[in-house]
Amino acid sequence: MALHRLSFRLRQTVTHVRSLHTSGCGQQQEAVAVESEPEPFSVFRAQENDPACQSEKYIGQYYTLPSAHIRTLFPHGLPWRYQQQVKTFNEACMMVRQPALEVISYLKKTDYSKPSLRYLFYGLKGSGKTMSLCHTVHFCYTQGWLVLHVPDAHLWVKNCKELLPSSYNTSRFDQPLQATEWLRNFRITNEHFLSKIKTKQRYVWTKREFTEDGSPLGELVDQGISRVKSSSDVVGAVMKELRLQSGQPESDFRLAVAVDGVNALWGRSTIKKEDKSAFPLIRCLACLSFLLLSGGSGGAMTTTGSLYTSKSAYLPQELLGERGFDSMDPFIPVSVPNYSDKEFESCYLYFMDRQWLQHPQSRTEEGKKELIFLSNRNPSMLDRICAFL
Amino acid sequence: MAASISGLLKPWTPRVFLVRWSRYNPYYLEPEVRKEAYSTPETELSAEEKEQRELKALRPIKAATSGVNSSVFSDPVLSKFINMLMTDGNKVLAREIVTQTLESIKRKQVEKYHKAPEGKKEEIECNPYTIFHQALENCKPVVGLASIQKGGKYYQVPIPLTDNRRRFLAMKWMITECRDNKHRRTHMYEKLSQELLAASVKEGNVIKKKFELHKMAEANRAYAHYRWW
Repeated sequence: MALHRLSFRLRQTVTHVRSLHTSGCGQQQEAVAVESEPEPFSVFRAQENDPACQSEKYIGQYYTLPSAHIRTLFPHGLPWRYQQQVKTFNEACMMVRQPALEVISYLKKTDYSKPSLRYLFYGLKGSGKTMSLCHTVHFCYTQGWLVLHVPDAHLWVKNCKELLPSSYNTSRFDQPLQATEWLRNFRITNEHFLSKIKTKQRYVWTKREFTEDGSPLGELVDQGISRVKSSSDVVGAVMKELRLQSGQPESDFRLAVAVDGVNALWGRSTIKKEDKSAFPLIRCLACLSFLLLSGGSGGAMTTTGSLYTSKSAYLPQELLGERGFDSMDPFIPVSVPNYSDKEFESCYLYFMDRQWLQHPQSRTEEGKKELIFLSNRNPSMLDRICAFL
Repeated sequence: MAASISGLLKPWTPRVFLVRWSRYNPYYLEPEVRKEAYSTPETELSAEEKEQRELKALRPIKAATSGVNSSVFSDPVLSKFINMLMTDGNKVLAREIVTQTLESIKRKQVEKYHKAPEGKKEEIECNPYTIFHQALENCKPVVGLASIQKGGKYYQVPIPLTDNRRRFLAMKWMITECRDNKHRRTHMYEKLSQELLAASVKEGNVIKKKFELHKMAEANRAYAHYRWW
């Protein structure tokens, strides 16, 4: 008897009728809500691909990132699942959302003579902080700014494979591997700036190697990549140079600093000395905090949960800790919420368009209600659930 | 037989009630999981369905296992596959593996779809569920072999298989093939996705195993009269 019922259920899932009416209704509602010109085939795609010209009416729509930009800008910045999605769909589309638009509008209106402002994206796990940061970084890139993008500050704090005592300051430690990787990616992103900016100071690396002042920044970076041992020192030098030069009125470039997982700078780390004493200061982190807290034309960061914070803690106060909050103060916190109704609709239509929602039941109304229930409109949960449906 | 016993036994609850086991008093009825069964109004039911409902109001009902759910995305064949993949009761891991398998199948197919020219797009099957069901169908053997003793010797006799047995054999072969004969360092979901994609187009080691079984059965056709059922 139970088998009989099971076969009934199987028959129901297999012989469904795809309801075109409901998807048509969804599209009409989209058109009314967006109030743009009626697009013949896709209401969820924005006509405007340039982040500078995107305004409030494009919220919820997807805009395409050109693949050339992705190769130069994001050798290391995008989340892993998003990179796989780009590879599968053969295009890189990002959703225009309110937090990113807000920070971009602030950046457009900044007064460069005053000290720079810091913006902090915060939100629940998987709500789209890293993607908003990447959106802002893309805007900075299209405006021609110099982008200093640290993809994940937690990588510098935990799971360290090699640690060397620093030659510059004996109480600090270096991480050659991460430093060289970061320098390599920095070089890919900012090719055209490397020859323009000149160093103002003479740097001595070993007895026979030194860099004269007035030499282009590209040489410094190459030095760091080829000589792995001194790469952390190079990172420090690069950050110092950029900070000094961008603050001056005669410099012709704007510096944007984007750090993902900035609460790692003040949180606990898993690196300890051999005798398990208190963890030593790490060179790269010290330079980065120095850079963030003084000067620079613009800074945007995100916080992420780390090993030692509880899962549900997402507010800046809890994640940054007292020390971090005091040193970051004043900053502008920008909250990144889960998808709204309109954004969810847009995401759903995008997945349908890209043939990603394959289960016949997921295209019905009940399937959609179940998706909303299971994911709670959280972007990463929705992505994970739709991946196997 | 169950009916006669249930006539004798009154509804009783033992002192220690084992909810998760499958050995219930035959008096107990199966639970109804589908949402549609509860949302149809009184007028649309036929006479026997009304009788069923009244019976359910009186008789005790078995506890539902944790594997069944009323989601629209639930698939009994897939649940069976997850249960067969599970070891040491680690259903979470088994489910993870199967969902990652479905995701990787879908990713490969959708990538092919987007890179294909316009004419070829309709031929590419992107739905991982249809691929999974197709692969299982292709792996199911038609006849099986049983070891029957006659005159002191054991003979391999071809016998017909029930539907359940065929489905079980297909899933078992698929899982053992992926566990044993693949490279040690690949993930289970990768191995499964490769094997399922191959089986859905009738290639791969599992299909080969099925054909070997058929050949053995064909070769032992002469002993078919040893079967007495």
